[in-house]
Amino acid sequence: MRITGRVWKFPQDDINTGLIRRQMYNHLPFHEQGKHCMESLDPGFAAKAQPGDIIVAGKNFGCGSSTPAHQSVMALGIAAIVAESYGKLFLTNCVSGGLWPISCPGIVGLVNAGDRIEIDTEGWQVRNLASGKTLACAPLPGFFREMIELGGEKAYLKARLARSAGA
Amino acid sequence: MHALHKILADKARPERTAVTPGEVVEIEPDVYSAIVGVNAGEAKRLAADLAELGVKELPLRDRIYANSDHASPAPTVALAASQNAWRDFYRSYGIKIFDGGMGVSHLVMVEQGIVVPGSMAIAVDSHGATMGAVGAYATSLGGGRLTLYALGRHWIEVPKVTLVRISGKIKKGVLGRDVALYVNGRLGQRGAYGNAVEFAGSFVEHLSMDLRFTLCNMGVELGAVASYIQPDATTLDWVKERASKPFKVFETDRDFAYDATHEIDVSNIGPQIAVPHAPDDVRPVAEVEGRRIDQAYLGSCASGRLEDFAAAAAVLKGRKAHPDVRFIVTPGSREVLKAATKLGYIDVMHEANAIVTNANCGACPGLHGGILGPGDVAITSITRNFEGRMGPGGEIYLASPATVAASAIEGRIANPLKYL
Repeated sequence: MRITGRVWKFPQDDINTGLIRRQMYNHLPFHEQGKHCMESLDPGFAAKAQPGDIIVAGKNFGCGSSTPAHQSVMALGIAAIVAESYGKLFLTNCVSGGLWPISCPGIVGLVNAGDRIEIDTEGWQVRNLASGKTLACAPLPGFFREMIELGGEKAYLKARLARSAGA
Repeated sequence: MHALHKILADKARPERTAVTPGEVVEIEPDVYSAIVGVNAGEAKRLAADLAELGVKELPLRDRIYANSDHASPAPTVALAASQNAWRDFYRSYGIKIFDGGMGVSHLVMVEQGIVVPGSMAIAVDSHGATMGAVGAYATSLGGGRLTLYALGRHWIEVPKVTLVRISGKIKKGVLGRDVALYVNGRLGQRGAYGNAVEFAGSFVEHLSMDLRFTLCNMGVELGAVASYIQPDATTLDWVKERASKPFKVFETDRDFAYDATHEIDVSNIGPQIAVPHAPDDVRPVAEVEGRRIDQAYLGSCASGRLEDFAAAAAVLKGRKAHPDVRFIVTPGSREVLKAATKLGYIDVMHEANAIVTNANCGACPGLHGGILGPGDVAITSITRNFEGRMGPGGEIYLASPATVAASAIEGRIANPLKYL
């Protein structure tokens, strides 16, 4: 699968889930959490981001609390996140939600804010469409990929239950 | 194999004789430590998803425990409604609820002997690794909750193991939490990134269970997915009166190759403090002594145990909190609150004009019970000092219970040594 989109860059390392979406909003319906996405780091981000855009971030993105902060990212229609690495709980939250968490060491140096990039989830590569430069990504485990491609954990379980019923 | 890998092999379905770091295995947990959640839509969606999948009975029903510890009791109408949505969900599936006052989920699970040595425990709270102090495989869950409810299974990427060997005898005025802070400072937020972390060494061997929980709790801030301390006589003494079921202690093979080994000598450290806004930006307290504070907050799952209260009470006895400081005390569990009351520690806190609350997560995740306003400066023994964690615009210094108590007295960051 190929995903193309415009980059929003948050180059800091260790951006925790409370910075992605403050805990004080965690009781709000998920679709309302989008307008608070990343507001601690860029108060204008939620208003400016468009569906299909891509977040690029540093190391250990989404560290800290297991709070489902990925829902605020998904509420904006962000197509994928490409980070140097992830907090493990945030990463699996994304997979469960059907949002691509692409691990790509070196990505912060490859792209500038506003660049368009293309992610290839079969060749596990990111291409900067502005500069033409590419970087290899770390492949996700096969069933994570299946889960995301199917649309998330529920769709994956449906397919799995159907498979075992058929077997 | 490491003891943690042996636990994974034991709980893998189908059962395995060995597991290898890097592979993903599907396991059947012994315990799922859940919480009475704070988002109503999430509970309703979970129920709808299970209905859509045709799941009527939960395979893990009797192994799931829902603790009311976040924002408990409810501080706002919205949170009260959210918690009721979660109660409805749990009740409709016959899941046991510990409905408030019991304490922080992962402390309750070990105190009640539900998580024991060799247990495979999954926690919704990101500090679930705390339970590794009893020799369990305890890890937290991001995605995977629906799978856990629907199939009774969880996927785990088998981690490599980082060994942190701590040696030396700490000086007067230095507590176990100072050691945990020092380790966090030395290794950093990614010091055990994606790995499990085992704490060992002469310092750990002499450490009480209360402070073993502190160390394992703070393993999370090293980026670790699980923390572990090999059970010994101290563990077994603590566990044997509590265990709700038979248990098995797993041992690491002598030839096991750790991914990394860190040797840390703590004989010469003084009281430590993590300054805003990172748990690994750790310095000697001396570097920030005298900084004005608005709030002193003692408690949390990191340092809300009886020994923490004993250390704070020793500093506070016969003294008052500074009149400009809000001094809040939130025990980690009811067991701690009861014991600290019996031993007179809570009386010392009241005499010091502390606000003593019920046992819960309190202000640590910024939900109630001491939220910071913009510009507020807090010194606290909580888990993390991330920007805005206790309230947007607040500054958080992490320190030991003794340092928190000394600072409460002075209204400024203070070294506890002069009070001991």
